Amino acid sequence: MQDNSGNSATPFGTTGRSRRGEPWVWLTATGLSIGVTMALGLLLLILFKGGSSFWPRRIDVMEVSQNGAVERIAGYITQQSERRDADGGMHEEVQIFRGNKDLHGEAFRYVDRSEIVSVARPADMLLVQRMEHGPAIVKGVAVSLSDGRIAVGEPGYPAALDRILETGRESRAAVRRIERSEIGAINREMEALERELRAGRVAPEAAAARQAELQAKFETLKAEVDRLRAQAQEYLFEAVTVDGREVAISARNLVHVFPANEAGAGARLGEMVRRIKSFVSEDPREANTDGGVFPAIFGTVVMTLVMSFFVTPFGVMAAIYLREYAKQGLVVRVVRISVNNLAGVPSIVFGVFGLAFFVYYLGGGIDELFYSDRPGPTFGTPGILWASLTLAILTLPVVIVATEEALSAVPRGVREAALACGASKWQTIQRVVLPASLPGILTGVILAMARGAGEVAPLMLVGVVKLAPSLPIDDIAPFIHPERKFMHLGFHIYDLGFQSPDSEAAKPMVYATALLLILVVVSLNLAAILIRNRLKKRFAVSSF
Amino acid sequence: MGWAIRFGGISVIIAVFGIFYFIGKEVVPLFRSAEVSAAGASRPAAVAGLVPTVLGEPASAWSGVLGVDEWGGLPFLYDGGSKVVFRRLDDGSQSEQSIASLEGETVTAFSYDPVHRRVALGLEDGRVGSFVVNYEMRYEDGRATTVEASLVEEPWFELTAGEGPVTAVDYGDAGNQRVIVARRGGPENESVSVLRLGIRRSLVGGGRLSVLGAAEITADLGARAEILRASQNGAVVVVACANGEVVYFLADSEGVSKRQVFRPFGGLPPRQMDFLFGGVSLVMTGENGAQEQWSLYRPQEDGERIFGETTTFTALGDGPVTFAASQRNRSFLTGAGRNLSIRYSTSGAVRWQGEVDIEPVAATLDGKSEHFLIAAADGQIRRYELKDPHPEAGWRAFFGRVWYEGGPGPVYQWQSTGGTDDFEPKLSLVPLIFGSLKGTAYALLFSVPIALLAAVFSAAFLPLSVKRVVKPAMEIMSSLPSVVLGFLAGLWLAPLLVDRVPSVLLLLVSLPLTALAVGWAWSRMPITLRNRFEGGREWLVVVPFLVAAGAAAWALGPVVERILFVYQDPVTGRAIGDFRQWWPQATGLKMEQRNSMVLGFMMGFAVIPVIFTIAEDSLSNVPKALTAAAAALGANRWQVVWTVMLPVASAGIFSALMIGFGRAVGETMIMVMATGNTPVTEWNIFSGMRTLSANIAVELPEAAVGSTHYRTLFLGAVVLFAMTFVMNTIAELLRQRLRERNKLV
Repeated sequence: MQDNSGNSATPFGTTGRSRRGEPWVWLTATGLSIGVTMALGLLLLILFKGGSSFWPRRIDVMEVSQNGAVERIAGYITQQSERRDADGGMHEEVQIFRGNKDLHGEAFRYVDRSEIVSVARPADMLLVQRMEHGPAIVKGVAVSLSDGRIAVGEPGYPAALDRILETGRESRAAVRRIERSEIGAINREMEALERELRAGRVAPEAAAARQAELQAKFETLKAEVDRLRAQAQEYLFEAVTVDGREVAISARNLVHVFPANEAGAGARLGEMVRRIKSFVSEDPREANTDGGVFPAIFGTVVMTLVMSFFVTPFGVMAAIYLREYAKQGLVVRVVRISVNNLAGVPSIVFGVFGLAFFVYYLGGGIDELFYSDRPGPTFGTPGILWASLTLAILTLPVVIVATEEALSAVPRGVREAALACGASKWQTIQRVVLPASLPGILTGVILAMARGAGEVAPLMLVGVVKLAPSLPIDDIAPFIHPERKFMHLGFHIYDLGFQSPDSEAAKPMVYATALLLILVVVSLNLAAILIRNRLKKRFAVSSF
Repeated sequence: MGWAIRFGGISVIIAVFGIFYFIGKEVVPLFRSAEVSAAGASRPAAVAGLVPTVLGEPASAWSGVLGVDEWGGLPFLYDGGSKVVFRRLDDGSQSEQSIASLEGETVTAFSYDPVHRRVALGLEDGRVGSFVVNYEMRYEDGRATTVEASLVEEPWFELTAGEGPVTAVDYGDAGNQRVIVARRGGPENESVSVLRLGIRRSLVGGGRLSVLGAAEITADLGARAEILRASQNGAVVVVACANGEVVYFLADSEGVSKRQVFRPFGGLPPRQMDFLFGGVSLVMTGENGAQEQWSLYRPQEDGERIFGETTTFTALGDGPVTFAASQRNRSFLTGAGRNLSIRYSTSGAVRWQGEVDIEPVAATLDGKSEHFLIAAADGQIRRYELKDPHPEAGWRAFFGRVWYEGGPGPVYQWQSTGGTDDFEPKLSLVPLIFGSLKGTAYALLFSVPIALLAAVFSAAFLPLSVKRVVKPAMEIMSSLPSVVLGFLAGLWLAPLLVDRVPSVLLLLVSLPLTALAVGWAWSRMPITLRNRFEGGREWLVVVPFLVAAGAAAWALGPVVERILFVYQDPVTGRAIGDFRQWWPQATGLKMEQRNSMVLGFMMGFAVIPVIFTIAEDSLSNVPKALTAAAAALGANRWQVVWTVMLPVASAGIFSALMIGFGRAVGETMIMVMATGNTPVTEWNIFSGMRTLSANIAVELPEAAVGSTHYRTLFLGAVVLFAMTFVMNTIAELLRQRLRERNKLV
């Protein structure tokens, strides 16, 4: 693609004076306006929807009169739509988020706007985030700890609330630590023992003894976990819903209590920051509809990095070969067309290839050679390594094309100067051409990363899952687990939006995840564009 | 170091081309025909205990039924005596098991059902019954060792109608619902009757197989009954008569009723007639080896099922007919004399054809269709290994119209998985290719005008400083992850637009008209005013007008809906302005939420930047000498664009369209999330589709490795790849040619 920087201005610097054809010019202008509006509009939409999913809303208590019965609903309106009746009349229907999924079965209520009789905003409404059943919308009553019950309004109440939250946090962390690392280690040893036993490398008696030992250790740990859980279960946060039902949330289940209506602008901003922080740092819970997306961020980042680790050397090497070494002729022309073509091959086709070649052919082969003692496939099943390699092939043309462009932009004079100084061909490339084209290569790699981070379709075939039990890199030897399945931001969006059992509750999470993904991809692209622009300027000076 | 680069570079390029190889490798087996190799023969041992047969056939040679276990190693022979002979093919050893209840009885008719391994029997005294051969694999240390056989005798039932010995019998078994059809007596006093059997539950639990009803059907037959068949589903009985008529009876809880008389082979009586796996299709062989398949189907949507001819096979030739149906799929082994062939019913394809060195009198396929066995008149058994992993595949199955079992006629259909064991996969890629093309067409319909208009404006009128910002912005738009676009299309845009179709239609009309009107108005302004403004800002100036027009159109939509799209409620008769109801009533087509309109709009985000960038490049690269010359000759700015820039850049614009096509046809996530994924073959803008790409993404993770389904999905990928590759190559060649041409100027 050539740039027309040679043209100092557009073909016509001034307005055409003729009236003829002028409407058509304006029609073409409309095309550009619509295109730009669409791009900006979409970004703004995601930015707004994603951002607002973090903003703490005020809680209204609405009196709803349906079929003569009056009901009080606490919550906030999340959506409104028009519904047509059988008789053609239009109704404005609103969707109210009222939480308390454990009490009502559904976190949402749909009512007609006209059925809402009154709206109040009592100051004492709380939004309580829980480990299970999503948020609760209640009024606080009391906190009961091991040393007594402190009701709302009593002087020790805020401290007691802090204490119960702290207890819950600590107990969850402790249980998690024990379950993940210590019990996990026992499980792994048990499995290894089983394999050794089957392979006949260990005597059955010795194995039985070790097994008993491990079992005993497991029992102690289990008892410890049960104790921690029971303790956290004793501390209760007592509350009452707006329709008078009493709720007791144990410390284990209690995550955060936010006075939604009392909070001022500063507190709400603080709450928003807290929500963003927990979104990017926590594990998902409640079928991914609550909690955070940390494993998805981690998976996306690791996969993209591994991908660029593979794609950069190979892409650069192929480009150097094509541009500097290969004899320019029909063959190279065909190869170049093919590489360009490869960029246009649908991403799903790469996924299909990855499944056939990496997963079943390479992975199956590795399993046969090294892991034949394991019952299930180890590498012969989709995993993060295969996903990265598949995307590396997918993005290879991006890197090749960018590198080739960068190489060809290095002025001839510079090369000839190097050669004239007695440098060999490789020395010229190594010392002169490559450093000069480095920003261009970097642009290509960043563009490849942006493309890779946003691709989902091929990943569905080669290793992405909706919920991965463990991360591809962790503290368990050998620390890097290239065979593990992983979570991915893009797939998370698809899964939440289209496979979730409670898609309404998942909507804020989808928008937030989409915002995050867009931010990653757009900032990578912007970085690439900026580097490219600087590069152009540099060569504009150096070429003469 | 140079050699390392050379080596690395070449290997990367080779690796890239390896992609095609590995995808192709998975597809090739689909188009291979079956392979048959002789895998083992039993020594022609003495046929101990087997007496020459009954049914009035000459007793000079042996004939009877041949059955085999699931693994194809321990066949049995039965010819109407009280003994069953088993022959182990590994070592040629032979053993016998006797049927206690047949001691002292004379079996006068028998037939074999390979699915249940049931031999139906008819006795001289008018009783009918059966026994079942059971096989069991013995395991030692978790390893399969030997197969053992046992016989299970089933109760006998008295035929009340007619007299004389039973001369033909068949047994249809669907577990709780079974049927026996039998013929008694000679030519002058023939009687055909149907017994309906069922398991009567007793109070104590458990059940006893007993007769639910008996019916004589002799009167319903126009001539002597030649072949009797009862289907696997325990409800269908078919009788071929000597006058060439085939009569179909339905046995249900009401009784047995005659449903249809049909005449295959133009009225000549069939020599062979058997049900295929699933019990819905009949394969018949007539004179000269002509072979036809008749299947039960519903000619009308909710009408009754009748038989219709669905497939005509190539003729077998002369000689005694052999037939054995597969117990796994719709293929069967058939032949005349020593010439055998494996055929697949729905596609009518001959999967294998060959000559065997003994003349078969009985044949059978094992449970997995991995072996077939034939028995000769002298008691020899030959086993052949059959490799036909993909019998249902083939050009016709993928790209042609196929009359599937039960369907009302030949169709293009994709339905890869079903609920039952005897489900027949429907693997036509045509609806998927259609879906891809439909999605692409609607995407291009929306994005091509916008992208090209924007490209023209950007290349011809936009100041360079603005262009430096606008072009990268468009590039960023092309990098938006398609999963985000897809989710917005499915969850945000689709519910939003489904009620506002009239508004959208108004928008489509009003926006371009507004632009033209504003342009016209501006051109009528006094020249002194126009001179004050530089060109290139039209795209910003027009925005407020567009917003106003858009808002007006959006608001006016419901008004137009009330006037134009009035729907008559069929129940109440009331007229309601509602496009959602009006469209199906007016056109008879569906109106779905996730439809092509939504898809086309969202695909715009993916396609517009691609087309824009390439078209803009080729327009910008039109040599300045040409445009300047046109301007110097007095062309105004639109005339320069229309008469010089567009014609010169036309090849580049065309290549932009091709690349846009390639991008749209392979797009996956938007297609998965915004189209509803129903395979349809209609151009209706308000219905969805299922595209090749979405189909792969949805089904491949679930498909069993190496299965026909898996390989067919790979074939889909090949088709997709071929479509984009051709388009992209044409585009690339066009662009290169254009570059050469512009260089000369």
